[in-house]
Amino acid sequence: MPDKGQLDWPETGPLAVLRLEGICKAFGPVHALEDVTFDVLPGRVHGLVGENGAGKSTLVQIVTGLAQPDSGRVLLAGQPVRFRTPIEARAAGVAAVYQDPKLFPHMSVAENIALGAYPTLPIGVINRKAMHTTAAELLRRLGSDIDPRALVAGLSYAEHQFVEIARALSADVRVLILDEPTSALTPAEAERLFGVVRTLRDRGTAIILISHRLEEITAVCDDITVLRDRRHVATMPAAEVDRASLVQMMVGRPLETLFTRRATPALGEETLRVETLSLAGVFADVSFSVRAGEIVGMGGLVGAGRSEIAQTLFGVTPPSSGRVFLRGREVHPRSPGQMLAQGLAYLPEDRDRDGLIMPETITHNITLPIVRTLARWSFVDSARERRLAEDASATYRVLTPSVEQIVSSLSGGNRQKVAFAKWLTNDPAALILDEPTHGIDIGSKAQVHEMIAQLAGEGLAVLLISSDLPELIAMSDRILVIAEGALVGEFSHAEATQEKVMMAAAQQGARARP
Amino acid sequence: MSASDEAAVADRKGSRPLIAFVLRLREAGVLVFLAALGTLFAVLTHTFLTTQNLTTVASSAAILAIAACAQAVVLLTRNLDVSVGSMMGFAAYLTADFAANHPAVAPWQLVLIPLAIGAALGAINGLLVAYGKVPALIATLGTMSLYRGLTYVYAHGREVTSSRLPPWMLTSVDARIAGVPLLVAAAIAIVLAVWVFLQYFPWGRRIYAVGSNPLAAFYFGLRAERVVLLAYVLCGVLCGAAGLLYAARVGTVTVVLASGWEMSSLAAAVIGGVSVSGGAGSVIGAALGAVVLATIDNGLVLLAVPEFWRMFIQGVAIVAAVAADAVIASGIRASLRTRGAR
Repeated sequence: MPDKGQLDWPETGPLAVLRLEGICKAFGPVHALEDVTFDVLPGRVHGLVGENGAGKSTLVQIVTGLAQPDSGRVLLAGQPVRFRTPIEARAAGVAAVYQDPKLFPHMSVAENIALGAYPTLPIGVINRKAMHTTAAELLRRLGSDIDPRALVAGLSYAEHQFVEIARALSADVRVLILDEPTSALTPAEAERLFGVVRTLRDRGTAIILISHRLEEITAVCDDITVLRDRRHVATMPAAEVDRASLVQMMVGRPLETLFTRRATPALGEETLRVETLSLAGVFADVSFSVRAGEIVGMGGLVGAGRSEIAQTLFGVTPPSSGRVFLRGREVHPRSPGQMLAQGLAYLPEDRDRDGLIMPETITHNITLPIVRTLARWSFVDSARERRLAEDASATYRVLTPSVEQIVSSLSGGNRQKVAFAKWLTNDPAALILDEPTHGIDIGSKAQVHEMIAQLAGEGLAVLLISSDLPELIAMSDRILVIAEGALVGEFSHAEATQEKVMMAAAQQGARARP
Repeated sequence: MSASDEAAVADRKGSRPLIAFVLRLREAGVLVFLAALGTLFAVLTHTFLTTQNLTTVASSAAILAIAACAQAVVLLTRNLDVSVGSMMGFAAYLTADFAANHPAVAPWQLVLIPLAIGAALGAINGLLVAYGKVPALIATLGTMSLYRGLTYVYAHGREVTSSRLPPWMLTSVDARIAGVPLLVAAAIAIVLAVWVFLQYFPWGRRIYAVGSNPLAAFYFGLRAERVVLLAYVLCGVLCGAAGLLYAARVGTVTVVLASGWEMSSLAAAVIGGVSVSGGAGSVIGAALGAVVLATIDNGLVLLAVPEFWRMFIQGVAIVAAVAADAVIASGIRASLRTRGAR
C-alpha cells in the first residue's frame, strides 16, 4: 500500500497544523520534488531525513515562501496558503532557521529580530523601547542573556543561532523549521537548543527538524518523514523505527544509468599518498592512498569536509599539518598552479563558477592551464592552440559545432566534458573529481562515467567525490567515508552497500572540528 | 555555578566584541580626524580659527554635504551612483531656466521642480540597477553621460545668468538665521532629516539591512529591489536639492554645473566612514566627510599651498579611509563565516 503520509491518529487526534499535498517542483529540467504529501502535527517534533539532494531544502523553501510549488497545495491548519515571501509566512506563523544563520551583521540583535515587523509609534517611527523589550523577552524565553542592543557582528556562532530562533518566535509561531541547526554547535550548545525545542513543542508548536545526525533525529523527534530521490517515502512515529531501518529507507535509489563495470582494474604504483592531513577546524588526520589505475570513491554528507580535503590537496587552502606524496615524492601543496605542475588535477564541484570561464570559448578554456607552453616568442601560437583544443574536444566528445563556441552556451554535460579536457591536457598523474555528475542529464552522466573508467584504465589515479551513492559504489574500487572532518570508514568495492556507506556517513561524534 | 550560567559562559566564547566596537566608532573616527586637522591649521595659520573663515568653510561644505549624503544612501545598499553630479546639473539648469522664464513663480513651487526632477532621474537609475540587474557602476556611468548630454541638448549652448534669476533666489542663500547662513542651516536640516529617516523608520532600516547582508535579506523575505529603488530615488531627490542650492549660490548656471561631483561626493562619503561594501556608516558621517574636504581645501589656501597638492592630499585621505574600511569589512565577513567550513 502506498504511504500517503497521513499519520495513524485516532478520530479524536489533533488536526494537522501543516499539510503538504502533492507538492511538485522543478527548477528548469531538473526535478526537485515530485508529488510529496505528508502531515505535520502540532505539539510534535517532526524529523525530516533524506540523502543529499533528496529534496529537503526545496521543501523548506516552498513551505516558507522562498519558492512556489509547480503543483500541489500547502495547508496551514486546514486552510490552503500560498506565501509569496518568508515575511508573509512568518506573519502566518511559519518560520525557518537555517544552517548558516542569515543575519545582518551591522545591525543590533533587537533589530535583527524585529526587522520584518517593527513595532511603530503613530507617525511610523520605530518604537525602539518596545523593540528592545520584545527582543529581551524572546531571548529570555530561550534561556539566553544576549544583550538586545549588541551588534550581531560581535556575536559568536551559537549566539547567531539563538538570535535566528528568537526571530522565528517573534511572530506567534505555529510551525518552526530547523534546518541542520546543530551542525556547527558544540554538544552542550546543541543540548540547550533541544531543550528549547522541547519547551516549544510542549506549548503546542510543531517543529520540523532537518538533520543528518540520525541519533539526533531518533532521540528528539516524535514523528519522522523520509524523502528519497525527491519523493516521499514514509511518515511514521519515531518510536516505530530504528536507525538501521531509517537508513534503509533513505538509500536504495537505483543507479540512473546503465553502468557496466570495467574488468578487474590493473593497479599500478601508488600515485597519491596522504598522511595525517589536517586543516585546523575543518578536517583532521586524514590518511589514504590512491594507486595508478585505481578509482577511490569518497562518500559523506554535504558539509562533511570532502571538498575541503580536495581543495587542500590541490593547494587552494594549504594544510595545517600532514604530508602529501605524489608518485613517491613529497609535495607541499601551496597553490593550484604548483600542484598542477606536480601532476595533480582537480575538477571542482561548481564547475560553472570555479572550473570554467563561462563567457570564453571552448579553446581558451581548454588551453588555459597550459597556455604558457603554447607560446612562441611570448605570443600564443593560436593555430596550435586550436588544434590542441580540437583534439581534446574530440577525445572527450564535446558536442559542439566549433571549438570557438562560448562555454556558457553549452549544456551541463558538455561543460563538464570541457572541464575534463581543460584539466587533462596537462597529462596529470592523479585526478580529483568533485561531484562530476551533479546537475547533468542522464545521457551525459553515462558518458562521464565511461570517461572516468577510461581515464583510470589509462593509468590515472582517480579520487572521486560523489554524493550520489549508487554512482559512488558502482564506480569505485574502494570507498572512503568522511564524516564531520574525519575519515570514518573504508569499504572495498565488494563489501560496500548503500546502507553501510550511509550509516558510516551519518554517524555522530567523529567531529574533528573544535 | 548553575547550568544556565555555564551555558552563558559557553555562549560568550568566540564572540567578537572588537568588531562591534569598531563598527560603532565610525563617525567618532571622522570627528577625531577633523579635530586634528582643525588644530593643525589653527596652529599653522592665524586666520583659520576666525568666525568669518569658519563660516566660509561651512558654506562651502554645505552643498557637498548634501551630495555626499545622497551618495551615502546608495552606498549603504552596496551600490554606487556616479551620476550624482549630472543629476545636480540637470536639475539645476532646468530649474534656473524655468525661474528665468517665469519670474513670478512662488518659492515653494520652484523648490518642488528640482526635487521632482531628481526623483525621476533617480528612479531611472534605480530601475536599471534593481530591476534591470545592471551593475551599479555601469548603469550610473551611462546615465551620468545621458543626463549631462540631455542638459547640453536642452541648453543649446546657453547659460542662465544671475540677472535673469528672481532676486529672492540669490539673496536667500546668503540670508542668516541667528548668524548661521541659510545654506548651512538647510544642509544641516536635510542631513538630519535623512539621518532620522534611515535610523528610525522601517524603510530606512531596510536600506541598511539590504546592504548589510543581501543573502540574509533574501532568506528573510525582504524585497531588495524595492529597497534599492527607494535608495536611488532618495539619492536623486537629494541631488535635486543640492543642485538648486548650488544654482542659487553661484548665480550663473552653466551646463557643466557640478561636473566631477560624483567623485567628490564619493570621497566625502568614504572619508566620513560610509562603507563601500554596504550596511555601515551614516549620512552624518558622510556630511562630516564633506566638512573634512572643505577644511583641507580652505587650510591649503590659507597656507598658500599650490592648488595641485589639493588633489594629492584628498587622494591620500580617500585611500586611507578605504583601506580602513576594507580591514573592517573583512572582519565582518569573518564573523559571518560558520565554524565548520562548507
